[in-house]
Amino acid sequence: MAKWKLSKSQLRETGQGYLFMSPAILTIVVFLIGPILFALFLAFNRVNLLGDVSFEFVWFDNFTRMANDERALIALKNTAFYVGIVVPVQTILALVLASSLNAGMKGEKWFRVIYFLPTLTSSAVLVMIFMWMYRPDGLINTLLSGVGLPTYNWVNDPSVALISIMIMNIWATAPFFMVIYLAALQDIPDSLYEAAELDGASGVQKFWHVTVPLLRPVTAFAVIMGIIGTFQLFDQSYMFSGGSGGPNNSTLTVVLLIYQYAFSNNQMGYAAALAVALALIILTATLIQRKLQKDEQVY
Amino acid sequence: MMKRAMWLKASVLTSVFLTGAVLTACGDDGNNAVDGGANGEGNGEEEVTVRLTGWQSSPTEQRYLEETIEAFEEEYPHINVEMDTIADQYMDVLQTRLIGGEAADVFFLDAFEAPRLIEAGVLEPLDDYITEEFDVDDFEEPLIEAFRRDDQLWGLPKDTSTLALFYNKDHFEEAGIDAPPETWEEMEEMAETLTVDNRYGFGVVTDLARLYFIAESHGGEVTVDNQANFTDPNVIDALQPIVDMRNEKEIAASPADVGAEWGGDMFGTERASMIIEGNWMIEFMEDAFPDVNYGVVEVPTINDNKGTMAYTVSYSMNGASEQKEEAWQLIEFLTGKEGMEIWTSSGLALPSRQSVAESLEYTDEAIYEPFIEGASYATVWADDTNLPIINSNFENQFASAFLGDQELEEAMEEAERVANNEIDN
Repeated sequence: MAKWKLSKSQLRETGQGYLFMSPAILTIVVFLIGPILFALFLAFNRVNLLGDVSFEFVWFDNFTRMANDERALIALKNTAFYVGIVVPVQTILALVLASSLNAGMKGEKWFRVIYFLPTLTSSAVLVMIFMWMYRPDGLINTLLSGVGLPTYNWVNDPSVALISIMIMNIWATAPFFMVIYLAALQDIPDSLYEAAELDGASGVQKFWHVTVPLLRPVTAFAVIMGIIGTFQLFDQSYMFSGGSGGPNNSTLTVVLLIYQYAFSNNQMGYAAALAVALALIILTATLIQRKLQKDEQVY
Repeated sequence: MMKRAMWLKASVLTSVFLTGAVLTACGDDGNNAVDGGANGEGNGEEEVTVRLTGWQSSPTEQRYLEETIEAFEEEYPHINVEMDTIADQYMDVLQTRLIGGEAADVFFLDAFEAPRLIEAGVLEPLDDYITEEFDVDDFEEPLIEAFRRDDQLWGLPKDTSTLALFYNKDHFEEAGIDAPPETWEEMEEMAETLTVDNRYGFGVVTDLARLYFIAESHGGEVTVDNQANFTDPNVIDALQPIVDMRNEKEIAASPADVGAEWGGDMFGTERASMIIEGNWMIEFMEDAFPDVNYGVVEVPTINDNKGTMAYTVSYSMNGASEQKEEAWQLIEFLTGKEGMEIWTSSGLALPSRQSVAESLEYTDEAIYEPFIEGASYATVWADDTNLPIINSNFENQFASAFLGDQELEEAMEEAERVANNEIDN
């Protein structure tokens, strides 16, 4: 009990502490905690904002509705497919790019800059450029047919539209993780490689048995960040489909669906419920990933 | 993708925007009271600003609208019109502004979207403002009907656009065809002759907005009681030829198939010899493809019946406007005989008033004729509150049937089921 009794000076000190923190606390409460609580509140209400503003408490109706919402299931399926492909590919690609840039080639600083450029490009600009290249008579099809490969209607064919977005995003995001891998690679002591060499390890063996295990914490970071980022795919599919998630719902993602319900269909309550559900899904995915890699958590 | 800070917000996306919306809404209520008091007295000659929101599809359109507004400001020197345009996703932006209490006093409203806003009660009914002199009976009945609900008028059609068949005269000559088609069968035959390796005889825009009249041409109804009714055998029968033209006969394609942005692009770049498009194409062709030698005729008859679509947009008034009187004066002028004449003289859109349609003279009569004719038998693109949902589900599924990914019947069943499921929720 005595522990909780504070002397006057201690009280003053505490007060001062909170006073100094108050701008930060206020900002967090207004812009972070407040909205989260409000979103939770909305998720349990039927909300009408246009005209007569009304909130009607509906318990779990918004959540049970999801089970019967065809488009929500399609969106979830598309998003999961997208995460399942993009996260492994971009992580492996980043690792390969980083190791090749760490091998001591000539002019590798330049390559680092060049590889990093896509990450610096705004996603809107990126989508515009890619949509132009993806045209049926565009650059990519010209190249493909030039070497005798089949061509695709990248943007308008429902069976490839999402894959087009995947290619674009992997291209844009892999370099970001590459930079993180690069930094980690420089941290691996040379002595380990020397020791491996003395034991007669080949280049591939060194990569598999020294580099990859030592990069595990970074890989965990890249995978988790990748999962969070890819689950929230919105801008690319929005621009690709002009906001509709078409053709044939093939580029409909969960966040795009949330946007549609919130801003086009005026169903804020249901949109908030979907947002809460997505947050839970991401949380679960992240927890599973952490369980699988429970050693060495650096994030 | 790696915008974590941004996406952190996105996971609570709705709430962030919402709090903002609610806060501004509350804030505004306070302001309104104050502003209203200040403005209320000086209705006489004190300067009043009326805000007008719309979209803009071309610089020419903007020029004509500005000209019309200038004429208005000359007549009402104390009213200052502030025009702003929403470039993309007009309804999303407008709706969000209405929620936030930030919407303009007067705005464009597509007939297709109108019922939802009317139901929400955010518009001002116009009946009490309309004077004898305004001559509301002069408007084309089907057009003004689109904005009437519960026996009240919620907007006045500013203009209309209809569809007609554009055909490439040079292609026709090459193929040895001397006259454009009059019936759908003729059109299909010609399309077959006109199709050559890199060019299709007929371009199809797969939106419900374009196909609605075709879908109903066999006596079926696309919507019944504000619900989708795509599985009506008559509707499927009527749409089947369109799908067959692409997949069986291979004489038609959509703009997306050839990598064109829209129908005008497809026709202008000569990848389709015929296409059903609206009067907005005329100006576009003149600007972008002046060398293409084309003609326009009425849409070919289906089962001996003429048909086409008409689109209309109204000027509607914000129910929360602080300057309703001035806002009405603006609407009255813009949809009145004088204003409409200035506006529609551009040819970008056709007048919605009979008297203006009669008095207006176009330089290129032959090209405008089919559109004006079409207005008399057109189906207006408007239904009820659920049309946007019905439309988007149709588009999704029809597109996949059109691409040959599934049978039309299956696609329509799916579209109807999903649409009505969404409506019931």
